[in-house]
Amino acid sequence: MSWLNILRFPGRSGLGIVPIGVPIVMFIFISFASPNFLNVQNLSNVNAQIAALLIVALGQMIVAICGGIDLSVGSVLSLTSAIIVSVDPALAVPLALLAGLVVGVVNGVGVTIFAVHPLVMTLATLTFLQGLALLILPVPGGDVPDYLEAMVDFSFLGLPAAFFWCLVFATAAAVVLRSTRFGLRIFAVGANEDNAARNGVNVVLHRISSYVLCSFGGVMAGLFLSARVASADATMGAHYGLESVTAIALGGVLLAGGIGSVPGVIAGTIALGLMTNGMNLIGVSPFVRAAATGLLLLTAISLQPRKAIGA
Amino acid sequence: MTVMAKNSPATARSHLASASRFVLNLPFAYVGTALLLLFAYFTRPMLLSPLLLLLIVRQAAPLGIAVIGQSICMRVLSLDLSIGGVVVAVSYILTSGALPFSGPVLIAICILFGLLVGATNAFFITRMRASSVIVTLAMAMILTGVVISLGQFHAPGDAPEVLKFIGQKRLGIFPIALFVWLAVVIPAALFLRFSVFGRYVDAIGANPNAAWASGIPYVRVVTIVHILSSLFAVFSGLLLVGFVGVGSMDIGGDLALNSLAAVILGGITFGGGKGGVLGPAMAAFMLTFSFNLLTSLGLGEPGKLMIQGAIIAVAAMIYASRRNK
Repeated sequence: MSWLNILRFPGRSGLGIVPIGVPIVMFIFISFASPNFLNVQNLSNVNAQIAALLIVALGQMIVAICGGIDLSVGSVLSLTSAIIVSVDPALAVPLALLAGLVVGVVNGVGVTIFAVHPLVMTLATLTFLQGLALLILPVPGGDVPDYLEAMVDFSFLGLPAAFFWCLVFATAAAVVLRSTRFGLRIFAVGANEDNAARNGVNVVLHRISSYVLCSFGGVMAGLFLSARVASADATMGAHYGLESVTAIALGGVLLAGGIGSVPGVIAGTIALGLMTNGMNLIGVSPFVRAAATGLLLLTAISLQPRKAIGA
Repeated sequence: MTVMAKNSPATARSHLASASRFVLNLPFAYVGTALLLLFAYFTRPMLLSPLLLLLIVRQAAPLGIAVIGQSICMRVLSLDLSIGGVVVAVSYILTSGALPFSGPVLIAICILFGLLVGATNAFFITRMRASSVIVTLAMAMILTGVVISLGQFHAPGDAPEVLKFIGQKRLGIFPIALFVWLAVVIPAALFLRFSVFGRYVDAIGANPNAAWASGIPYVRVVTIVHILSSLFAVFSGLLLVGFVGVGSMDIGGDLALNSLAAVILGGITFGGGKGGVLGPAMAAFMLTFSFNLLTSLGLGEPGKLMIQGAIIAVAAMIYASRRNK
């Protein structure tokens, strides 16, 4: 009885029936539909495919819990990819992180101090950064620094590198959310900004920090993805902005703020990854898959109703 | 007495101040268009020839019509990002030959289709209380995905003659598309200004809770707004397909983003409860003109994207900070 109640009223974790149930149902369904699904090679493929998305989605979750949304994170990913092949290898990672910091601060300042709607603000930076990335790297290609390639190409205890990337970032995000003041305060800001401010939380600072963390997520995913394909592409991240929003919505994160959890985001990302992988295995065209993802998103979002109507 | 007052320096200064305040309070689109035209006058004067300007107007017309829908959505604190998906679907219905009907029938089907998409969006937004961003994005994903996978069976082809005529021909030197645009914008502006529905839209935008409390049919208004937005997207698609002459899979892909940019430049902000129809229309022209200007200056895609992004960000910041004062 009590665990049923927890599933129905999940509190601020958002881990209700849908976020937990969808990936499980999919897993069972696909393993019946396609015999190749359950072999180790394929499962490690799924892991590698969703690692970048998971890192982006964890950043998106932090922004969403704080009551915002960051569509520009996909362009940050592309920009990172363009930067690391265009500068000296020793400077690649620091410069990419610096770019992420600047983007996060610009987004955060626009949203908090100028009070621009987060969608509009991040749409503007999305467009700008996509242009910048194409300016730096007009054609795909280039040499990714060797040390980055080494970081995604090892395996330890029989587990691929992608698994450890996921593990590190998921743990870091979970620690930030559960065991730091910062984590507690972004929940407070997202749930009710005015109350948080009256209780002495610096709303502006926490909002800006959440955007910076989200941009760092984009940078890290960009490093991972470029190193994995051993080449850079200035449009590499174009879909990640929307897909990360889809993943966190599937994972029970409330886009209005104040509700969300790392396990939920992992579940949402896995659901999205399983959908892609399963449809690949069954042999469905990638465009039908896009439509199916849209339907899944509509269903997931209808199952977590809010009070307000509108954006 | 009045003559003296007019001549005194103090009132002259206050006139100047109120004039400058008036200009500053205008939507950014007016000032921006003036600046762009001035810039073009010094760098690329041939862009200002009447013939080219009218061509640019014709090019701006589809965006100009889509913007009306987006602007009323934003005035009731909602958003419509499914415009691009609707346009792709309209282009497919019209040009693929998958439905064996004549031009006018296909156009009627497109309008029905628009009603259906708008009503679906509205259902999820008002009844399921889902975020309009997510709902319309998902709708765009579904429409584009379905159209592209259907494209394997029937590839898009030529547009119906009626639409090519409207999109490409001109009366005298004026393109017919300009008249279509005016015929949509002027009634829309008058309707939103003087009808009860327009007042409801303003009231909901100004304060949703107050509008709800005072018995305004909130859900119905938001529903109608979304249906209207999809219908405007259909009209925009009809015009665009006629203008281009053939259908394609990536037609109108940037329409959703550009319409959002135009609405912001046209002086409508989330939760402002203010805003007209002419500002966004001017902004649609401004954006299209700026694309042409940038192309003629030899800036490639990257430069265009960067300037577009910068314009949206700066305009949105100026408005939002002005509103907060």
